[in-house]
Amino acid sequence: MSVSNKKGLDYWLPKLVVSPTVAITVIFFYGFVIWTAVLSFTKSRILPQYEFVGFDQYVRLFLNDRWMGALTNLLVFGVLFIAICMIVGLIMAVLLDQNIRAEGALRTIYLYPMALSFIVTGTVWKWLLNPTVGIERFIRSLGWDSFTFDWIIDPNMAIYTIVIAGVWQASGFVMAIFLAGLRGIDTSIIKAAQLDGASLFSVYTRIIIPSMRPVFFSAFIMLAHIAIKSFDLIIALTGGGPGNSTDVPAIFMYQFSFQRGQLGMGAASAIIMLMTVLAILVPYLYSELRTPKNG
Amino acid sequence: MAELNIDNVYKSFGETHILKGINLSIQDGEFVILVGPSGCGKSTLLNCIAGLEEVTDGRIVIGKDDVTHAAPKDRDIAMVFQSYALYPNMNVRKNIAFGLEIRKMPKEEIDAEVHRVAKLLQIEPLLDRKPSQLSGGQRQRVAMGRALARRPKTYLFDEPLSNLDAKLRVEMRTEMKKLHQRLGTTIVYVTHDQIEAMTLADRIAVMKGGVVQQFGTPQEVYDDPANIFVAGFMGSPSMNFLNCEVTESGGNYAVQVDSEGRIFQLPIDPKQADLSQYLGKTVILGIRPEQITHVMPHVEAEPFVTKVPVKIEVTEPTGADTLVLARINDQECECRVHPTEAGKPGEMMEMLFNMSKAVFFDPETEERL
Amino acid sequence: MAKTTDPRYSPITGRAILYGVLIVIALYYLMPLALMVVTSLRSMDEIRLGQLIEWPDAITFEAWKIAWNEAQIGARDELGLRPYFINSIIMVIPSVAISTLLGALNGYVLSFWKFRGSELFFAALLLGCFLPFQAILLPQSQLLGWLGLTGTIPGLVLTHVVYGVSFTTLFFRNYYVNLPHELIKAAKLDGAGFWMIFFRIILPLSAPILVVTVIWQFTQIWNDFLFGVVFSDPDSQPVTVGLNNLVNSATGEKRYNVDMAGAIIAALPTILVYVLAGKYFVRGLTAGSVKG
Repeated sequence: MSVSNKKGLDYWLPKLVVSPTVAITVIFFYGFVIWTAVLSFTKSRILPQYEFVGFDQYVRLFLNDRWMGALTNLLVFGVLFIAICMIVGLIMAVLLDQNIRAEGALRTIYLYPMALSFIVTGTVWKWLLNPTVGIERFIRSLGWDSFTFDWIIDPNMAIYTIVIAGVWQASGFVMAIFLAGLRGIDTSIIKAAQLDGASLFSVYTRIIIPSMRPVFFSAFIMLAHIAIKSFDLIIALTGGGPGNSTDVPAIFMYQFSFQRGQLGMGAASAIIMLMTVLAILVPYLYSELRTPKNG
Repeated sequence: MAELNIDNVYKSFGETHILKGINLSIQDGEFVILVGPSGCGKSTLLNCIAGLEEVTDGRIVIGKDDVTHAAPKDRDIAMVFQSYALYPNMNVRKNIAFGLEIRKMPKEEIDAEVHRVAKLLQIEPLLDRKPSQLSGGQRQRVAMGRALARRPKTYLFDEPLSNLDAKLRVEMRTEMKKLHQRLGTTIVYVTHDQIEAMTLADRIAVMKGGVVQQFGTPQEVYDDPANIFVAGFMGSPSMNFLNCEVTESGGNYAVQVDSEGRIFQLPIDPKQADLSQYLGKTVILGIRPEQITHVMPHVEAEPFVTKVPVKIEVTEPTGADTLVLARINDQECECRVHPTEAGKPGEMMEMLFNMSKAVFFDPETEERL
Repeated sequence: MAKTTDPRYSPITGRAILYGVLIVIALYYLMPLALMVVTSLRSMDEIRLGQLIEWPDAITFEAWKIAWNEAQIGARDELGLRPYFINSIIMVIPSVAISTLLGALNGYVLSFWKFRGSELFFAALLLGCFLPFQAILLPQSQLLGWLGLTGTIPGLVLTHVVYGVSFTTLFFRNYYVNLPHELIKAAKLDGAGFWMIFFRIILPLSAPILVVTVIWQFTQIWNDFLFGVVFSDPDSQPVTVGLNNLVNSATGEKRYNVDMAGAIIAALPTILVYVLAGKYFVRGLTAGSVKG
């Protein structure tokens, strides 16, 4: 019997097959991030150039009022968007968990906005929120003449319209995550609690919801990720305006890099965005990877 | 010609050493069982024989071929897995034929082979079903069928019966034994169930911690365990281990036991152990429950049998026998008595200790004396 | 919701309130879509004079026609969203196909053919799921320039494949690790090699995750705006960019009915997928989030 060498085709093939993706990871992910970082330390303007200026671009960035405004807006939007999505999503999940007859249909309705492009969502809400044609005019026509809902043209309030549209789009998604979490809980625990005399309300608040900590965690990560990257929704809804009142880092980065010929500063803002994501993500991944693996 | 030689095999994953120098010489047609607690390395060893794991050191020789570095398919081995590993997307016929197709066997021969195997295992009516439509026992048969179809030199079984319910397991055990007698091929079979090992094997390799503790026939392993681990692992209920002092009584060595404050000397059969080095020291007496019985006149007269009254702590009827848990030398000791003879908890009962099969271990090394 | 005094009546009123709340929430989610559809079927005269929420006097598909192939969008020669829509289709098909295939192969290797460093590779690859794309926009546009792919559909396809492969790999890998490993062992002993095992055993078992991945990728790529707006020329822009231009570039009177018709056109493929295969869509969403 011939005895084949172990370093045969089956030894090399797997490596060969993943090699394009390894190249992608090394070049397009890590390589490009490093490249962006390098650009952020240069005085590049319209075209990349490699004259290093240290942290100058970061200093300019943080002295720039628009950037600071964009960061503030992101903070306001992020906190409200995440908090409201979580609360609304959780409530909807708990309500849907009550043995609802038309659960499938309702779930489909709650979740469909997630299948839409943020551009579509922005287009629709831009129209609804427009005081001269949308909700404000409609309510006034019903007889409530003093009704005002003009946040989208009010620089102090416009950021909250982003929250409204964002929550409309993403809360169903949070509901789906939470509902999956609720369904994953061992029903014998719930039965045991009910035998102990716990009411339905305390079963949820004392047992079920606390045991869904990991689900909250991952929902939080996903929402934070959406918030930090949010670009299309704001472009479509307010275009960053009125003025710069709904500017966020993603829009800032896009405009400074591709419209204003400030590559160095655009790169610096992108690196700050990446750092923000990592600051949220690394502790999460760390705790995830520490949990024992199966197999 | 398919003896299987495992020659000083080592297997490590990084710093974790799973197999630490395994040597087994398995003869052609032998049914060998690897048994041990989980994590002892028995499944890893089986995977190494199959070629699914690369050995770190050592050699594996099947027949005359050194297959240490051969691919699994070149080893002429078939394997039956605990989960059966039937291809869910193929029906039974395809499952059995898959290996033959890959080996480019002509279509007619494959059909003939599938039918031969199906007939042998009585799964002909199932040939067109998908694995998901089969019961556990049927899947098990199909998994065996897949192995049989290739007519390999050696079969490997990885806990093939452990997913079956108790009754079916006993049935399949018998069937497996019949099958082996019929085929006469070499089988290496992994299990953690010592009863399966006792009933099926020509020889048993008891493993622990990546080392073969003992390799022998079931009776050898049962009567002549190499160390405390093997003695305790094989047999159910397990052998009793009692720390005893060695004394001399009437020119014979004996061990001393204490039952409810009374001291008894149990004379030892010199064939079982030479305890001259241990006089006055403590050894571990290993005695199986069936060697401690209620008083039977014909046994009482035999040599090396001593009558000891013990206090009953618990009784466990098993139907055929009743197990009586007593306290000897302040340690638990199980005795096997006829159901009608068993007393009640708290009562005293006379037991016969038959020392002719007793074994002794060094308390330090836990090795057999 | 807690148990109240009279067990005969409270469950019924409780249930009624519960259903009421759920239906109100459902209406809230449905309202924008319903208004979109209704508005797109009204004429501009009617909208100007009438109300936000009002059934059209006369249903007209005029707005759809304008949005599809009559509206002047930006400085393009061709009119309407049609060319953008076609661009999206030409872009999305190869992007989804290639990224899904790569993901399946990667997942297969990472689950069944592990090698030294494969776990590290997987962990490194996962960064791609969370990478804010702003951090790679500048180098990517430079690279597309060097490759001569700036402003082309192949350039967009390359970008979508590269930055989609993390998710597709994650999906397949997480699905495959739950397949019994012994299947692969059995197939190896049966003499099957790398490709044989993939095509004869693994791929036939992959249908559910294949659907999930294709839907996920389709939705992501179809709905993408950032790559579309950064890396494409007017000739290669996807429909999301087209819609945004339609809504924001029109001079003169805002034609809301056209905007809404355009929004529906842009959303139709993904809504269709959602309606037809919502179960798989949700599975993809949760698979992409709950477990890494």
